[in-house]
Amino acid sequence: MTFWGRCLLAWRFTRRELVAGELTVLGLALLVAVAAMSSVAFFSDRVERALTDHASQLLAADLVLNSPEPAPAAIRAEAQRRGLTQAENISFPSMVFANGQAALATYKAVTDRYPLRGEVSVRLAEGGVRSGALHPLPGTAWADARLISRLKLKLGDALEVGNTRLTLAGEILREPDGTLDLYNFVPRLMFNRADLAATGLVQPGSRLRWRLMLAGDSAAVAGFRVWLEPQLNNGMRLESVEEARPEIRTALERARRFLGLTAMLTVALAAAAVGMAVRRYLARHWQPVAVLRCLGLSANEVWGLFAGLFLLLGLLAGGLGTLAGYALQSGLMQLAQQWVGGLLPAPGRLPWLSGPLSALVLLLGLALPPLLSLRRVPPLAVLRDELRPSPSGRLTPLAAVAALLALTAWQVGDLTLAGWLFGGLAGFLAAVGLVAFVAVWLMRRLPTGVGVGWRFGIANMARRPWLAVIQIVALSVGLMALLTLTVVRGDLIAAWQRSVPADAPNKFAINVQPAQIEPFRSAFVGHALPAPELAPMVRARLSAINDRPVRPSSYASERAQHLAEREFNLSWRASLPSGNRVSAGQWWGARAAPQFSVEQGLAETLGIRLGDTLTFTLGGTPYSARVTSLRKVSWDSFRVNFFVVAPPAWFADQPASYITSFRLAPADEDFINQLVAQFPNVTVIDVSAILAEVRAMVDQLSRAIEALFVLALAAGVLVLWAALASTRDERLFDVGLMRALGASRRQVRSVVLAELMWLGALTGLMAALGATAIGAIAAVKLFNLPLFVNPWLLPLGVISGMLVVGLAGWPLVRRVTRSAPAAVLRAL
Amino acid sequence: MSAVGIAKQVEFHGESLSILRSASLTLYEGESVAIVGASGSGKSTLLSLLAGLDHPSAGEVALFGQSLTRLSEDDRARLRRDKVGFVFQNFQLMPQLTALENVMLPLELAGRRNAREAARAMLERVGLGQRLQHYPRHLSGGEQQRVALARAFVIEPLLLFADEPTGNLDPATGRQIIDLLFQLNAEQGTALVLVTHDSELAGRCDAIYRLVDGKLNGAGR
Repeated sequence: MTFWGRCLLAWRFTRRELVAGELTVLGLALLVAVAAMSSVAFFSDRVERALTDHASQLLAADLVLNSPEPAPAAIRAEAQRRGLTQAENISFPSMVFANGQAALATYKAVTDRYPLRGEVSVRLAEGGVRSGALHPLPGTAWADARLISRLKLKLGDALEVGNTRLTLAGEILREPDGTLDLYNFVPRLMFNRADLAATGLVQPGSRLRWRLMLAGDSAAVAGFRVWLEPQLNNGMRLESVEEARPEIRTALERARRFLGLTAMLTVALAAAAVGMAVRRYLARHWQPVAVLRCLGLSANEVWGLFAGLFLLLGLLAGGLGTLAGYALQSGLMQLAQQWVGGLLPAPGRLPWLSGPLSALVLLLGLALPPLLSLRRVPPLAVLRDELRPSPSGRLTPLAAVAALLALTAWQVGDLTLAGWLFGGLAGFLAAVGLVAFVAVWLMRRLPTGVGVGWRFGIANMARRPWLAVIQIVALSVGLMALLTLTVVRGDLIAAWQRSVPADAPNKFAINVQPAQIEPFRSAFVGHALPAPELAPMVRARLSAINDRPVRPSSYASERAQHLAEREFNLSWRASLPSGNRVSAGQWWGARAAPQFSVEQGLAETLGIRLGDTLTFTLGGTPYSARVTSLRKVSWDSFRVNFFVVAPPAWFADQPASYITSFRLAPADEDFINQLVAQFPNVTVIDVSAILAEVRAMVDQLSRAIEALFVLALAAGVLVLWAALASTRDERLFDVGLMRALGASRRQVRSVVLAELMWLGALTGLMAALGATAIGAIAAVKLFNLPLFVNPWLLPLGVISGMLVVGLAGWPLVRRVTRSAPAAVLRAL
Repeated sequence: MSAVGIAKQVEFHGESLSILRSASLTLYEGESVAIVGASGSGKSTLLSLLAGLDHPSAGEVALFGQSLTRLSEDDRARLRRDKVGFVFQNFQLMPQLTALENVMLPLELAGRRNAREAARAMLERVGLGQRLQHYPRHLSGGEQQRVALARAFVIEPLLLFADEPTGNLDPATGRQIIDLLFQLNAEQGTALVLVTHDSELAGRCDAIYRLVDGKLNGAGR
């Protein structure tokens, strides 16, 4: 037969087998695995593209000097001398006032050349969406969708921004250097730098960030960078294309790894279904193969025919799975739109190939070795059943492990890490399997005199304990993840919110100027509210510990590196703040000499001990003193707290702003609007609104992750199907025999149902126990909450397990109870 | 077809068991022979040796003038594909293929054109024109054996091996199947090797061989 003749034959065979339903479970299992893999591949590709191809767009420049003060004139002049284009934006949090309501926003005042790289996309008041190097004209402002919805704005509305009024001229759809920070949920307001002075918001001690943006040819940028680096000081930070937005890189890399792991879980479960489906397929086909041999196909031709069939199936499932993965990934992006949405570019061509390729790798590992046994089917097997070949031995599990390991390595991009992850995954699944095995073992010892359905149901499960264990593991892992993401997550957030005291402050006011302290307090008194206590605050950089310079690179932990790099809010006061407890050393008395009190957690992170000498730099002046006390702070109290406190009067000559927290009943919300109108430079942060934002974000993220775990559950259902299918003939024979012996339809149905219900109950039990354990660990380790257990989780898990298994197994129940016993027996 | 002195021994629990001892048999174009014997007498073993499905321990089988022992497995397969048909006791239809597809299969394997039309015509010839799209599990035993006959005759084989073709059928259906088999055989002038334990059936062949204790006794024509 010619090559094309063989291909045509393989195609006909595949089509017929698909129509006859012989490849359904196998095809679906492949499809689910590919969908999981490719959705993550698409996501990773978009992230990778955003981080490499579009790095300068993420920065809106080639190089950015980020500092808490305007860049010195010498630096600007040097940049100009080297022919670099410059732009500058200034960002800071402040209140926007419109329609009688106020909301916190991150302001971004941009100069005319912004952005130097990348595009801004904006919906304009005069209609239509425009993209390009755009910025708001003087007298106008652009807001993002969140600010527009929060203040119920329409394009063309007037906004009060500090002491000035701006017209809302556009809605920001995408900004190249937009925030992509999981912790930054404050909406954006962008306006022209020319309007900044009129707002009156730039005050000493304001929390401003200057971003001097530079662009030019790469040699000039590199040369300027070499010149600039030795001159950096005082919280200045360089952001360049190579290390663009490390926070984005880290956050997205973590998200990608996590999604990759979830995908691997799905792939591992789907692989179990693929393996079982291949076994069943070959078990049902060795006799047809013998007939094919009789009809004149050589061993190689038979093997080629089935290899071609599996190849076609792999390509088909790979193609469809890739489409499903693309749709799923788009769905994930929709759900997480607010924090990754417009920023990620469209995926490239490569992920479209990864789907079919991963299907082929799975088939190569799981189907090829057993497929080889078809070569050993002699034509004589048509006459002699005993000539049926035994499934190939050691090669099968080895190849399966190799295929999964290869896919994991591909997913995480590192073989060693893949090995650890794969080992961890295998260990986890084995642990769940062990518990399931013990449960099945215990069930066999249950009383058996309850009824025929009960007895046969349990007997059926116990007859194939390993098959039962595989089904329970596969289904319970997906269900456990879903229970954790829905029930346990809600419980944890509720418990965390409950742990906040009822009288805890719900508003923070920052940026109060020294001259405003008394009027600010009187405003409260005038509104029959208690006058708040205001704490002074200066921003300073920790420059040395015991005269050794503090460098981020000298710390291993990410948090310590971040702390070493950023500016601290320093405060001063005479008495120990409420909610603080001295854990080491002593608090100072009246008229104390310069010294520091440091929060204990911070001291541990940065390796500061009692008696160490710390040097802080404020506006270029170093302040050195010894640490005389360490404090424990209850952050949950939502009061104003500081990592580092000094005695009064020491920093008096430094420009300070004041901060306070207070509690406002919902009925008094109007007071905020009055307060902001009276003190335009003051920023009021609504903690409850931020908590609501956090909750909304956690909801969005976990819904996105849920979508992937639904795939894991689908893979579990496929394992169940594959297992039920692999025992279907045996079951049909049992049932036919029972019917022949006079069992009623109802009795037969009760046997099959009993087995499914037991399987479902065990699955649900395992899932609920797992979710409870995860919840307990998260409560204690992550949220610092007392251990708690949701008593409803167990019944909920058991019922949902029974539902999932019952629904998935229903076709089998119908099949066995509908057919006449003779037909069932003859069908075998 | 000629078989000269073929024997088959198998190892069973370390002992050599002789299933067939020095059997010889010759069959000419268009001729039919029956091989009869009790259950377990080695009839099916003989058939598998004659058809080249198995190797004899001794002796030689030639089909269409070619010695099977000298042909490779692939060459034997090609020989079967082009010139030999089979009918089995348990039908051996492909469960995942419809009746029509089962009959098309040998034509497709041989790379013949118009497989669909030829298969349809053949199924109509065996009286299953209304059952083309049925899967084997939806057909009665008699119908399944008709499909098997259609599959065997559709390639117009020069030689047909039939292994207890009525063994799984009731007597009335069995008679119908045998009538059909002999009709098709006569129409196509196919040589036939029929293995059976039914002496009435054997009587319809040109010659009868009896297999007793592994020995083939040639009988009268």
